[in-house]
Amino acid sequence: MNELMTARSLTTRPVVTLGGDAVAHVKDTVCDAAATRITGFTLTGRGLPTGPLKEALPWSAVYSLGHDAVMVQGRRALVSAAAMTAHQQTVRARVLGARLLTEAGTEVGTVLDAVVEGGTGGRVVGFRVAASRGFAPGPTRHRRRVYVPRGGTVEVAGRTLVVSGEAVRHVADDLSGFGALVGGVPGGWRESLP
Amino acid sequence: MLFSEVRGLPVVLPGRGGPIGRVTSLTVDVAAARVSHVRLRAGRFRRERVLPRDAVDTFGPGAVRAHSPAPPGQAPPRRDLLGHRILTDTGNEQGTVLDVAFDPATGRLLALFTSHGEVPPTRLLGLGDHALVVRAA
Repeated sequence: MNELMTARSLTTRPVVTLGGDAVAHVKDTVCDAAATRITGFTLTGRGLPTGPLKEALPWSAVYSLGHDAVMVQGRRALVSAAAMTAHQQTVRARVLGARLLTEAGTEVGTVLDAVVEGGTGGRVVGFRVAASRGFAPGPTRHRRRVYVPRGGTVEVAGRTLVVSGEAVRHVADDLSGFGALVGGVPGGWRESLP
Repeated sequence: MLFSEVRGLPVVLPGRGGPIGRVTSLTVDVAAARVSHVRLRAGRFRRERVLPRDAVDTFGPGAVRAHSPAPPGQAPPRRDLLGHRILTDTGNEQGTVLDVAFDPATGRLLALFTSHGEVPPTRLLGLGDHALVVRAA
């Protein structure tokens, strides 16, 4: 199992070629419609007077997603940003703030972040959720933050994500606990991903 | 010999009396894993000059002996290996370069000493403005 990281922590991570040059910084992560895997990154330039770049980085050009940098083969890996975000949305627009329900209709909570797998896989393995009171009771002042595995299938309807009740039976309080949870979940859900 | 030992040594030419400058850094050709150029400076406010390694006869002790002055030509970009950040090709940081051992006769790199242990020069992939990229062990 590769290292797990949250999608929001990828923002500002440098994009570095194998030659050692930093070409850009990650602005946001782009995922597919069902939040199955990362399909690319939008970028900002380096240095101070920069804004969003017109280029983006497709996942197929990523050599490895690491803890400190996104490695690419070379500067030619970048493609036009408009082409990539035409049919796909960034994680920020797609899943952040969405309601998470189970198939049975139980409200799990509000999605704060997506948890992705580093390395070459780029799978979305779960969500960080501000749990609703019924799902995970916590202190009265604020809602408990838990990590919820994604499970095999996620149905997306507008701003609502529906996961299977089986997947959210176990949750974790931190990312390291979540790694153990996802690595040890029995069943064939890992193989069932495309 | 170590990079830190060479830095600051005077560079002498056979015909001249005094040294023509002191070594500021060594430039490395990462693909070939060898020292390609010697950078030197005659004074604090003088411009840096670049000497190809072929023009150098011996490194140390006490001085770098060269047989021809720096030829005018395009110099490779200045990238000091010492203190450079190290990234693996998987995208994880592995500390910084503390020192580099090289063979003074051929210029071949022998080992990189980093804050995370020793790295053999066969694992080097590229040296850029952000980091030195090495193959993950």
